[in-house]
Amino acid sequence: MSEQSKNVCDPNFTAEPSNSEVHGNPGVPGGPSPPASQAATLAGPESPPLGPTDASLALPPSQAPSEEGDPKALQQAAEEGRAHQAPSAAQPSPTPPAPAQLVQKAHELMWYVLVKDQKRMIIWFPDMVKDVIGSYKKWCRSILRRTSLILARVFGLHLRLTSLHTMEFSLVKALEPEELDRVALSNRMPMTGLLLMILSLIYVKGRGARESAVWNVLRILGLRPWKKHSTFGDVRKLITEEFVQQNYLKYQRVPHVEPPEYEFFWGSRASREITKMQIMEFLARVFKKDPQAWPSRYREALEEARALREADPTAHCPRSSVSED
Amino acid sequence: MTSNHTSVPSYMQGSTRRVGIMTDVHRRFLQLLMTHGVLEEWDVKRLQKHCYKVHDCNATVEKLEDFINNINSVLESLYIEIKKGVTEDDGRPIYALVNLATTSVSKMASDFAENELDLFRKALELIIDSETGFASSTNILNLVDQLKGKKMRKKEAEQVLQKFVQHKWLVEKEGEFTLHCRAILEMEQYIRETYPDAVKVCNICHSLLIQGQSCETCGIKMHLPCVAKYFQSNSEPRCPHCNDYWPHEIPEVFDPEKEREAGISKSNKKPLRSRQH
Repeated sequence: MSEQSKNVCDPNFTAEPSNSEVHGNPGVPGGPSPPASQAATLAGPESPPLGPTDASLALPPSQAPSEEGDPKALQQAAEEGRAHQAPSAAQPSPTPPAPAQLVQKAHELMWYVLVKDQKRMIIWFPDMVKDVIGSYKKWCRSILRRTSLILARVFGLHLRLTSLHTMEFSLVKALEPEELDRVALSNRMPMTGLLLMILSLIYVKGRGARESAVWNVLRILGLRPWKKHSTFGDVRKLITEEFVQQNYLKYQRVPHVEPPEYEFFWGSRASREITKMQIMEFLARVFKKDPQAWPSRYREALEEARALREADPTAHCPRSSVSED
Repeated sequence: MTSNHTSVPSYMQGSTRRVGIMTDVHRRFLQLLMTHGVLEEWDVKRLQKHCYKVHDCNATVEKLEDFINNINSVLESLYIEIKKGVTEDDGRPIYALVNLATTSVSKMASDFAENELDLFRKALELIIDSETGFASSTNILNLVDQLKGKKMRKKEAEQVLQKFVQHKWLVEKEGEFTLHCRAILEMEQYIRETYPDAVKVCNICHSLLIQGQSCETCGIKMHLPCVAKYFQSNSEPRCPHCNDYWPHEIPEVFDPEKEREAGISKSNKKPLRSRQH
């Protein structure tokens, strides 16, 4: 955790609108919290995330149990943040900015988050502070709160802290049902198909896929490592660098092999965003077969789907940035 | 591909502006529009129908213009809007969610290094100053020594230009570069404010003009799709400003129906290729 975030801005809350009078009791519904919160309220610990929002603009938040992240850990961290803030309160504090400025910052942050998500880049809290919040660090909690409120109300997206450890946020869809967007436009985002081709190869093999195997498969799409493609550009760079950077793939040297060879694995982001069932459906679509033509993989996919449902019956499916094409 | 901007008329009720109501239909629409970046009109209509189907199958699908105006009335206070444009070369309507704040070339800033952004700015200036709306690769690369930040070699600059093409900021045609329609849509405000003297404007729609036709007598310019509409079924086209004979070929008005048929037969032949914008 960076020094600055310890002292002034506490990232360890779920970035959902909350009622500051409720001290972390998940069961109690709160009254409407005034969206026009002025200077930062260094009030009590934030409550766990709230449920989906109302259709109308006047928004009374309703509370639901935490869907992700451990509420206890978040609360602890929030209290920790508060403890750190106590000594600094003794120092002369700078003049709080005008409400309009905080609102403007919230709008900038909203756009920043939307664009990062559109480009499938990681939304990292320290980046948010550096690139957008800047000198308004001290009020970042209220800025974040307002931003999440707007995102929920206008876009139906939850700005969620997905990893307390790495301070990563992500935008999670808050609308049911999830999966249907995939068929919305058959005008596919080409990157998705390419990525899914590779991920499904790895999945079917049940272990890492050698680079040579991957190129054999990509040959079907007319892609070669030395040829520039009209849509994908430099394909090799795309799959060995960009997809790796975005954490969709891992590209590693095969140990003990000379001359050196490399293989691909699923990246952490792929594991988070793409379900095995989606891979099975993709395979079925591409090869025009029933998903049960890969019996052991299909069984795995079913088990994963069941485990996901059991883990969180009320939650929406993990948001997949590849589910809409 | 390039575009001009036609503003969608805002919905007014007397002196107070009525702010629309957001439902899940609108939210899903916004989510998907944002995901795709820029979409052509027929894609947008399909998207709209999809969102209705998912959330509210019984409701009548609102006319697209009203639907978008409704959403824009909510987005207004956030300084963003769904902007409609028209591609400069063949007049296709396109839509994108854009940020109206002009603080920076905001979307690009996080993707590119300082010297890369400066290369883009140099290319942009050449494009704006050119007669045709295109800047040659050679002319852009010759400015490599003037870039801010880390020193860039010409070979590297060539690759950066390709990166711009891939990210849909520039379009390349036979070694020359112009702005992608998405870039024009998103950056119009920034461009007009940064280059107020050099910027060209269409005489018909008054939006930013990169590519177009000019009157050889008085010098006014018009977008190709604006020319098509203005001179439609006019056997003796004359300049709207100086009335002199208009010397250029009048293009066809964009017909979405004809376009869709062509697209369908194309996509039947090549199922794996995505549509080119």
